[in-house]
Amino acid sequence: MSIAHFVASGMGGIRAAGDLVARMEFDQRMKIDEAKDYVAKKLGVTAFDLSDECKLREVREEQGLGVITGVPGTPRGIAAKMNIEDLLGIKINCCENFRNYAKR
Amino acid sequence: MSDFANETKAVIDAMVAYKVDGIQKAAASAKAAGMEATEIIEAMGAGMSEVGIQFQRGKLFLPHVLSAANGMTAAVKELEADLPIDQVGTTLAKVCMGTVEGDVHDIGKSIVSTMLQCGGFEVVDLGRDVPSPDFIDQVVNNGCTMVGLSALMTTTMTVQEDVIKLLKEAGVRDQVKVLVGGAPVTQAFADKIGADCFSESASEQVDKAKALLG
Amino acid sequence: MKSMSEYCTRNGDGSTLYQNKEQMMQDIRDGTADAADMAGVRELNANEIDHLFEIISSKRRVVGVERGREVVLSYDVGQLDMAGDNGNSGGGIASSRLNGALVHERTLCADTFELAHTDYSIKPVKPVIANEMNDMENIQNNLTIPYFYGAMPNMGLYYAPDGPYGNPADLMREFKIEEAQQEAEKSAVHLARDIEYVSTRVYKAGADGFNFDTTASAGDADFVGTLHGVEKLRAQCPNAYILLGMAGENVMGIHGEIEYDGQVVAGLFPQEQVVLAEKAGADVFGPVANTNTGKSLAWNLARAVTFVRGCADVSNLPLHVNMGMGVGGIPMAETPPLDAVTRCSTAMVEIAKVDGI
Repeated sequence: MSIAHFVASGMGGIRAAGDLVARMEFDQRMKIDEAKDYVAKKLGVTAFDLSDECKLREVREEQGLGVITGVPGTPRGIAAKMNIEDLLGIKINCCENFRNYAKR
Repeated sequence: MSDFANETKAVIDAMVAYKVDGIQKAAASAKAAGMEATEIIEAMGAGMSEVGIQFQRGKLFLPHVLSAANGMTAAVKELEADLPIDQVGTTLAKVCMGTVEGDVHDIGKSIVSTMLQCGGFEVVDLGRDVPSPDFIDQVVNNGCTMVGLSALMTTTMTVQEDVIKLLKEAGVRDQVKVLVGGAPVTQAFADKIGADCFSESASEQVDKAKALLG
Repeated sequence: MKSMSEYCTRNGDGSTLYQNKEQMMQDIRDGTADAADMAGVRELNANEIDHLFEIISSKRRVVGVERGREVVLSYDVGQLDMAGDNGNSGGGIASSRLNGALVHERTLCADTFELAHTDYSIKPVKPVIANEMNDMENIQNNLTIPYFYGAMPNMGLYYAPDGPYGNPADLMREFKIEEAQQEAEKSAVHLARDIEYVSTRVYKAGADGFNFDTTASAGDADFVGTLHGVEKLRAQCPNAYILLGMAGENVMGIHGEIEYDGQVVAGLFPQEQVVLAEKAGADVFGPVANTNTGKSLAWNLARAVTFVRGCADVSNLPLHVNMGMGVGGIPMAETPPLDAVTRCSTAMVEIAKVDGI
């Protein structure tokens, strides 16, 4: 059923900018329009473009935010999330743990 | 229009207001006005149905339902002297209720048990994760004429059909009415497995159980 | 052959139904009126009703929001929708938890996801929490999207025979009302303690946050216990993402008098539930409206949208409406039909104004 919801009304996660918008909803209790405006500004795109897989693929690759295909040598997981922290100006829990464990 | 329309309304309103002394007072007033005991009890039954609907719609809560039932019990006791002897202390039917084997959800089933009890049924609540033969045993050895089966998972709702099969094998299927319910259960499923009654809600289940009595 | 003036739609159990415009519009009006009457919120206005009719009556198989109006998705039961059995609507595909998470992130378009235990409740997870923490750490290293830990408070498990407290519904039936209420209150305290134990540990293991699924499934005391649990999590983990999703459109009054922050919680509807969720410290709220299998999609969806819109009109928190099998207007069917799901999804975004699903 998740596919049905994505097709009807979803942002698509790391296909586009859905994960980033979700983070702002949860991190700052932003409603959808405010969260989209915030993320769009940070990415240098319009809010309308945030679900555009073509536009966002390029942006995500350039900024090391993680993409859906397996591209060797590109940030994903913790590394991508650290780039997301810098982009959005937030702290991500597992990244904090990672830094503490790595003692850097 | 009944001569006792006002008294009937007062009794129903008192039931919905669920205070024990209020219900007793309304019943006593109706009796003093000349209303037959059986009609007063019928009005209280209608009030109890409305209480069930209000519970379902979130306006009344379980302690209120129990208080209304308590009030009805107390009022019926005071009317017993005026009832035909064969109606004193009777219940509508004996129902065994349970969540089927493999399923441990019982909130909904317990609410239905409570509502049926408040609605005038004698309820034997077998609990949850009930072995299927236990339902048959209640019919064969304990006089239950209704069997209520609850299932809250798509993996356990099929057991409702198994119990119906066991009732057939025991040769008692035509002696009982089978009520089914639970989140994944639908009318279509109930029809498919040969149940007698499906309900979306607890209050609806009581009304439908009463309707099955004919 | 069906008349050209009839629309192919669904019943609440997923079966096909044909309705003409008058029938569908009447069902929409009846559905919104029912919700408005129950919850004390406004009915959908004429524009919203027309919009809803347009969505439901479309001849397209798939109906979607306008471009630019997409929202984000959150989940329940985590990877169990792949690896679980039918009881979790799972596909029975043997797969590791890491694989399940990556598949959802990379191929199933998830905006967020969650780790879930097979026995998806707080009480059974407590003794195996170290296992959950371990998997959370491993998976967070690999995943990019926000990754929660999900569980149902499921306070029913604290009642006999599974738990140490008397079953209030059984006690009520014996007219032991005060004793029933006391057992419910004790269970709520125990639940809050267990929520604190489980949620703070998985957060320590790197979870982005916690998803409380089907809150208040055991009634009003369950709701109060969960709210207190959320308070405890928020106090110890100020940056945790907290999603609090409900079990039903109103809070069942099993106790009848139990309070949170001075307010009796029995009978509360979504627009009232969200206020308490915010007070407790939740970030996002998940309102619920239950599907009636005997009514049409039009009736169910109008009703569900009315409940949720009433909540959206007052909520300070973003809303992620529950839209699984049998909730949010979606038919109660093991394989919910695509046409119905997409219509419900679209209506919730465009009319109920939700922030996520």
